[in-house]
Amino acid sequence: MIEVEALAKRFKGPGGRVVEAVREVGFTARDGRITGLIGPNGAGKTTTLRILCGLMKPDAGRATIDGLDVVAETRAAQARLGVLPDNRGLYPRLTAREHVRYFGRLHGLKGAELERRIGVLAERLGMDDVLDRRAKGFSKGQTLKVALARALVHEPPNLLLDEPTNGLDIASSRAMRELIRGFRDQGRCVVFCSHIMSEVAALCDHLVVIADGRVVAEGAVDELRARTGLQDLEEVFLSLTGQSLDAPTPPAVAPATAAS
Amino acid sequence: MLAPIRVICLKELLDNLRDRRSLTVAFVYPLLGPILLGLLVTAVSAMMSIDRTQQSDITVKVAGGERAPELIAFIADQGARIEAVGGDPQAVVRDGEAKVVLHIPPDYGERMAGEGRARVEVILNAAQLTAVVASGTVTRLVRDFNNRHARDTLRSVGLTLDDLSPLEVETVNVSMREARINDFFLFMVPPFIIFTVFIGGVYLAIDTTSGERERGSLEPLLANPVSRWQVMLGKFAAALIFTLMALFVQLAAFKISFSLAGAGPYSLAGRLEPMALLGLVAVCLPLIMFATAIQIIIATITRSFKEAQTWLGLMPLVPAMPGLAMVFVPVNPELWMMAIPTYGQTLLMGQLVRGDPVSTLNVLVAGGATMAVSALLLWLCARLYARETLLWGA
Repeated sequence: MIEVEALAKRFKGPGGRVVEAVREVGFTARDGRITGLIGPNGAGKTTTLRILCGLMKPDAGRATIDGLDVVAETRAAQARLGVLPDNRGLYPRLTAREHVRYFGRLHGLKGAELERRIGVLAERLGMDDVLDRRAKGFSKGQTLKVALARALVHEPPNLLLDEPTNGLDIASSRAMRELIRGFRDQGRCVVFCSHIMSEVAALCDHLVVIADGRVVAEGAVDELRARTGLQDLEEVFLSLTGQSLDAPTPPAVAPATAAS
Repeated sequence: MLAPIRVICLKELLDNLRDRRSLTVAFVYPLLGPILLGLLVTAVSAMMSIDRTQQSDITVKVAGGERAPELIAFIADQGARIEAVGGDPQAVVRDGEAKVVLHIPPDYGERMAGEGRARVEVILNAAQLTAVVASGTVTRLVRDFNNRHARDTLRSVGLTLDDLSPLEVETVNVSMREARINDFFLFMVPPFIIFTVFIGGVYLAIDTTSGERERGSLEPLLANPVSRWQVMLGKFAAALIFTLMALFVQLAAFKISFSLAGAGPYSLAGRLEPMALLGLVAVCLPLIMFATAIQIIIATITRSFKEAQTWLGLMPLVPAMPGLAMVFVPVNPELWMMAIPTYGQTLLMGQLVRGDPVSTLNVLVAGGATMAVSALLLWLCARLYARETLLWGA
């Protein structure tokens, strides 16, 4: 379970200007549930995720992974967390297997047990064909699978997945959604970030909407629909985040003049 | 606590052993010094041998030789072959038809008959080293002719040449070994080693820090339950091992190059004995720590791979400078000099390479001081790695 209370984080921007990336973010992501963290670009999602991963320290508030404070007990918290960040670069000269093995070893795994887990993940993620190929030239889908496999190798009970279907084709996206549902059914706590509202609607049991560094709404998809009186989740999202619902009018197209 | 450092170090070594650029910098650059010095030693050895060996092999090209039959006969008597050259002797040399021409000017006979003294010219193109050496041979032959003439003249009045030179000069060499002209080249070994120490692991240091950030692999790596200082030390250890391998390659190359280069009295084959090589590695180890720590710091604070590459490409020149200066202006090592990283090592390496005695105290002071500075730099590295800005570079 991931619990976040009143997180705040400021940065010094260009020219010494202070940017408040996160002002007050608080939510609970329970086990056996997919919690969607959604918000417009620059809302503070990435900063929140980085604090949860132990990559940044909050200026105020606290966050825990299974009760472990991400600042005071960073390593223990990280050990219970699997992360698929937005930055999911691979090492072009290492094979897929070596990537997963590297992260497994950093989690203290080794020997036959580690190799067994790599085999299981490769089969489950459908990456047997690229397992012993070097990552240079991998497609987006193959890159994603390797990045996911290395995030899962220590079998973390908590998962942070940032845009996990970004760049995938339809079939792969569908397979990924099934996989994420599978994580939930195993009782894991899944925090899922996406800009694709249809995917959010299809997957998430609970939504946390962030805008301008604050949580502006929280609840099940249907609860948020009822609260806004809107059916379409995209419209619900735009309404909750205070963004304009008016789409720009497309320019009028003049009817073609028939040549005589 | 050490396990993650080892895992990261091994991964970086594997990754970079597969990288052609890392391998080139670590294992091809170090060969340049030994190859260059080997060629220089061979070339000098070849030229000096021409000067010394039997003069029957020597051909002296002469213009206007018919004007000085006595001189030409003397030179031929010394075993040199005489070859007459026609036309303008200066043009012959300038055009490269001859390296050196002994020119007997048209007024030779007239002046000899009048003043008993005349001028001959040794014409050469001094831009060619071989021509300079060959001109020395011709000049010596003319000088020998003068000496014979002087001896004959003195004998006629009951004197010898020694009567005119009351002082005899003897040069006493206190160098540990028989002094050889090629020892000069040994002074060039330390700057080449310093260069390798500062360049050997440079690509790995950049690739594992700025490169990791640019690839977007730093964030997932740091999300693992490993302290930042452990991540830094793992990368540091990998760069250190790479540099050490580069040093081994270079020392082996120097040994091979010296055993092949030159011949006879100009050979350096006996140099760099196993003890000297071991001493060089021991002196370089603290320096490799120092160099690697600087590389990691620069790769951490620069924003991009290219920026890091620019700075780190320039870096080896600075520590190699004192060593290069010492090729021409040797310095007597003193204790305080040992406390300056790279400078102390340059002096010690010079002594080891030349086979001079090395003070243990100097080695300890140089190693201790450099390791203390390296430890400070590593602490700074760890501080830099702990900063949040590590993710995007600052």
